[in-house]
Amino acid sequence: MNSLVNKFKEMGYKQITLYSIIAFCFVASIFWVNHNYSFYERPIAKVIEIHLEDTTEVTDMYQNKDHLFTQSLIAELKNGQEQGQRIHLTNQYSSSKAYDQEYHVGDELFISIDTNTKDESKLTGTIEDVKRDKYVLIVAWIFIFTLLFVGKKQGLFSIISLVVNAILLSYALDVYLNTSGIGLLFISSISIILFTVISLLLSNGFNEKTYAAIIATLLGTFISLLITYLVMLFTSEKGLRYEEMQFITSPYRIVFMAGLFVGALGAVMDVAITMSSSIFGLYEKNNNITVKALKASGLEIGKDIMGTMTNILFFAYISGSIPMLILYLKNASPLAFTLSINLSLELARALAGGIGIVLTIPTGLYTTIFFINRKRATK
Amino acid sequence: MNVLMSLAAILLILMIWIGGKKGIRSFFALFFNFGVLLLTIIFMTNPNFNPIIITLIACVVISYINIFYINAVNTTTTTAFFSSIITIVVLLFFIDIVTNNAMIQGFGEEETEELSIFSLYIGVDFVKIGASVIIMSTIGAITDTAVAISSPMREMFKHNPTISKKELFTFGLSIGKDILGTSANTLFFAFFGGYMALLIWFKDLSYSVGEIVNSKIFSAEIITIFCAGIGVGLIIPITSWISAFFLVQTKEKDKTRLHDKKS
Repeated sequence: MNSLVNKFKEMGYKQITLYSIIAFCFVASIFWVNHNYSFYERPIAKVIEIHLEDTTEVTDMYQNKDHLFTQSLIAELKNGQEQGQRIHLTNQYSSSKAYDQEYHVGDELFISIDTNTKDESKLTGTIEDVKRDKYVLIVAWIFIFTLLFVGKKQGLFSIISLVVNAILLSYALDVYLNTSGIGLLFISSISIILFTVISLLLSNGFNEKTYAAIIATLLGTFISLLITYLVMLFTSEKGLRYEEMQFITSPYRIVFMAGLFVGALGAVMDVAITMSSSIFGLYEKNNNITVKALKASGLEIGKDIMGTMTNILFFAYISGSIPMLILYLKNASPLAFTLSINLSLELARALAGGIGIVLTIPTGLYTTIFFINRKRATK
Repeated sequence: MNVLMSLAAILLILMIWIGGKKGIRSFFALFFNFGVLLLTIIFMTNPNFNPIIITLIACVVISYINIFYINAVNTTTTTAFFSSIITIVVLLFFIDIVTNNAMIQGFGEEETEELSIFSLYIGVDFVKIGASVIIMSTIGAITDTAVAISSPMREMFKHNPTISKKELFTFGLSIGKDILGTSANTLFFAFFGGYMALLIWFKDLSYSVGEIVNSKIFSAEIITIFCAGIGVGLIIPITSWISAFFLVQTKEKDKTRLHDKKS
């Protein structure tokens, strides 16, 4: 009885230390992000006064009505030599705010200070960007708290796996950019193997279920990579519109393929681990279960997850194009043209990911059965 | 043959091979969802409609397709449906606050080159559209998690009809914990893959960490990832609670009905 109480106390202490470490990190990072002006080289100014100077109604050539507003701002510089001085800025924004912002008192902005002003007593400048780091940080903390609160240990592990995978991806891209001669597809293949091993081991531990899932994930991913590659080869990529692919500094086809497989990997892993852990679960409940029964139940499980998993990928990919589609349509582009130019790559990604998901159901099933048979043989 | 048609045909064949009738339904669900998404976008181009309201309606229809069409209408799917809607509403409030403050709507300066031919003053509220983009990218994962929790909860209740509301809720949470990791992972990788080009761009042009974190595009992407994670986390207690409540409630109702009949 006494030992039980002690154990409870010990656990309590451990948890209390963990919670206080998290709380300390939270407070410290929030404080830091609100006082980190000196870490930035670009001048930062905090808006302290706003006057709305002018409002005009505009109609563009497609009869879209909008309002243009001009704000004059007075802001206080937060870093650099002019720290503490006031600066005058002007800002123009529209009510649609597609590429402009309305500023409020308290907003922090990156600016550039005009150097050759005639009036020495009055600093003027131009607004370059918004300081968004504190919002990113706050949302990140809400994310961490939600995962920890709901998932406890598993939540912590999925945060760790996210961070590790993000660092790995960043490192892989560094390797790709700094060494000539190594292809992005090769680097992505290595990264895919590492991502799979790390994520699955972190979430499920060292056991046969995980090993079966790792093999099934890799098989599923590479087979669907092959299928997509062959399709692209045989159709000579008809219907893929790379010209609207954004942010391209490297060979676009390779970047597209690499993105395609890293993107589908999470969903494929999800299917693989669901298959292997549920089939292993059936075997553990009844050691004498026939392979035929395992296959039948495995396929049933696969059927259930197939539809929803493809939907997850579909929405994650397509939704990002909504603003661009709206912009095209409001600029009087025909619907078919707008869709083919903006969605061809996203749809290809979603479909190829779907193929990966569906293929992982049989590969997951057979790898798991292979592992179960091996276990039976050793007994 | 065009790439998309070929890929779609291969996907359809595979889905029928593995899933039979259910496979066909899953494939058509994708098409219906695409249709709903298109209609949503067309409605959003009308400046007189509030994008948030349109998004909410679209989310109800999409959840309906994902939950009732792919599966069937029963107590499990009904609770999953209501839990998804509640989560989406809560999340939408949160995202609306975030997008209003962080100013991550619309297009970033990295995109100016391709935007130069367009008129940007189109009268549609891009802040609200930004919020709807975030919620739409998460909705697949939200409905998936809701079904994945509510169906084993019903099984549990079937086998142990005497279980209390609280025990059932804890059971739901424990299932949710197992799903949380993989669902979050699915979304993370989907976004990583989508932003590969952007990451290479940042690295190629040697942006500093400060520039990356504060840039509109990157902060919009990372906030989307976090909001997706928050959504997948939120749906777990909400579904567990609603399922536990409904299951135990209907049993009590049946009991009183039996009681009435007897007397």
